[in-house]
Amino acid sequence: MSASSSNLSSKWTTFLGLGVVALVAVWVFAFLGLGHHDHRPALSVLLGCLFWASLLIGMLMLTMITRVFDAGWAPVIRRNWEFMIGALPIVLLLGVAPLAFLPDFRHLLWEWTDASHILPSGHEVGHDPILQAKSWFLNEKFFLIRIALYVVFFGVLAWAMRTWSFKQDTDRTAGHTHTLHAFSAAGIPLSAVALTMLAFDCLMALSYHWFSTMYGVWFFALSIRLALAGTVILTYRLSNGGWLDGILNQAHRHVLGCLMLAFTVFWAYISFSQYFLIYTANIPEETFWYNIREFNPVTGLKSEWWGVSMYLIFGFFLTPFLALLFYRSKIVPARLLTIAIIIFLGGIVDLWFNAVPRQIVDKTAPEGFTVSPFLCGSLATDLLAIAGFGAIVIGLFLRSSTKAETIPVHDPRILESINYHE
Amino acid sequence: MNERNERIHGVACTFRKPADVFHAAEKVRDAGWTRWDVHTPFPIHGMDQAMGLERSKVPRLTLLGGVTGFITGCLLTWYMNSFDYPLVVGGKPFWSPIFPFPVMYECTILFAAFGTFFGQFILNRLPRHHHPLFDLPHFARVSDDTFMVVLEASDPKFHLDESRNFLQSLGGQEITVIRD
Repeated sequence: MSASSSNLSSKWTTFLGLGVVALVAVWVFAFLGLGHHDHRPALSVLLGCLFWASLLIGMLMLTMITRVFDAGWAPVIRRNWEFMIGALPIVLLLGVAPLAFLPDFRHLLWEWTDASHILPSGHEVGHDPILQAKSWFLNEKFFLIRIALYVVFFGVLAWAMRTWSFKQDTDRTAGHTHTLHAFSAAGIPLSAVALTMLAFDCLMALSYHWFSTMYGVWFFALSIRLALAGTVILTYRLSNGGWLDGILNQAHRHVLGCLMLAFTVFWAYISFSQYFLIYTANIPEETFWYNIREFNPVTGLKSEWWGVSMYLIFGFFLTPFLALLFYRSKIVPARLLTIAIIIFLGGIVDLWFNAVPRQIVDKTAPEGFTVSPFLCGSLATDLLAIAGFGAIVIGLFLRSSTKAETIPVHDPRILESINYHE
Repeated sequence: MNERNERIHGVACTFRKPADVFHAAEKVRDAGWTRWDVHTPFPIHGMDQAMGLERSKVPRLTLLGGVTGFITGCLLTWYMNSFDYPLVVGGKPFWSPIFPFPVMYECTILFAAFGTFFGQFILNRLPRHHHPLFDLPHFARVSDDTFMVVLEASDPKFHLDESRNFLQSLGGQEITVIRD
């Protein structure tokens, strides 16, 4: 087992190298886009960064939740989350942070930061009363402070969850479990606030007229879904020629499958509730956000984005939901893996749906604007950015795995976790 | 077969240790018994497999209940708002899958819960106010420090003397015939 683990871990430089090459390429595209005032390549960087940040925030939450609940099944799986979350501040530093701190990218992506930007109504952002009313929160200085705080907060929390857990491998102190229990109890509510604000700033503020109080919960639901799907994919690989060979059992898969089912329902509940309230209230400030995701403002017909939203309902919710209802889907490794891949890829579609459509000023259009298309060349840079950030995350994960035992051998619940039974 | 006494419910046999009753259960399973049971003071991991039990059929009734509930919710809202008494509310269509979704969703959950609750009632043959096992003086001890295997007379393999000998061969302590 140890030979295959070290084989895996030694590939970290390859992954990191590939990731750096991909990210350099994506950033080059972003700078080229800057030249002709095209925000879309910069949005690819943001999407790649947020996809992995979301997954890692989910894993950080799962780490803390299983700590707080003293989950007996968790330790052998949680160690892999601890290896993963070290990459969280780095992912934010390579994506969101430079996009926010470099003024050109900031003005391009977050239109409200550019006072001279012209809105479809013909007014300048600087004279927009809606922005003025929100300016206590949406002002550049506070925005940048918040972005910096996310990096520091998630970085420190991830560092703490890793450090005390890794210490336990060498000094065999049960007290570290209590320390981490306390950190987690404080970390969960703070992370809930932080991830909500992160979703507001990085995604909701891309379209600053619109607001939804459910948005943070939606982001949390997506994060946990991605984290669980990522965990299933990761542990599948690690139990076939990795350090979970012979350790990961049917009951571990079953519990991950049950959680995937629960959060699939939770995601649908939150996403539908947001739509349902806006549909019922029917207030123009809110409905425009869904209208640009359903209709082409020039022709008035259903657009590509309508197809994307139907995919979210039937491909991202209904298919995994119906599949996960069956017990055998949760215990047969290949079936669980297939469902996890569907959820993992669906997460990209959900981010596309939330981040990409925006009103682009076009004087010739009847409404004064068009909507960014779904099908365009930038889908390739999106996927390149997601692959690039992914390679960096996996590289850092493998590097972390050389720094501690690959299962937490002195965790007080390690035997319970290894012998976990349905 | 004519020796089978209809007034006998079965044969009970006690064991002192979880491991003993576990291995006894495996042997009863391998001998091909279908109508029998094991009583223990606490859950024993792996007993389901040792007894050769299949997974419960209750989830199928839950699914059936859920699907019934969803369809009921659809029909209910369609019949009331769009067919029997069409009414414009908030400028919305008479019927669409969106605004009445909470009704459909709640009906799904309600009927799925009915399916689960009444399903287990039917599958467990409840309600039932008495069981012949309760007449055994030492049956109460299976909730304390005793483990018990019961072979029921309704099993086609049941034969009073042979079953008694079989239980003895499993290392059972106290073997009792249970009368109806």
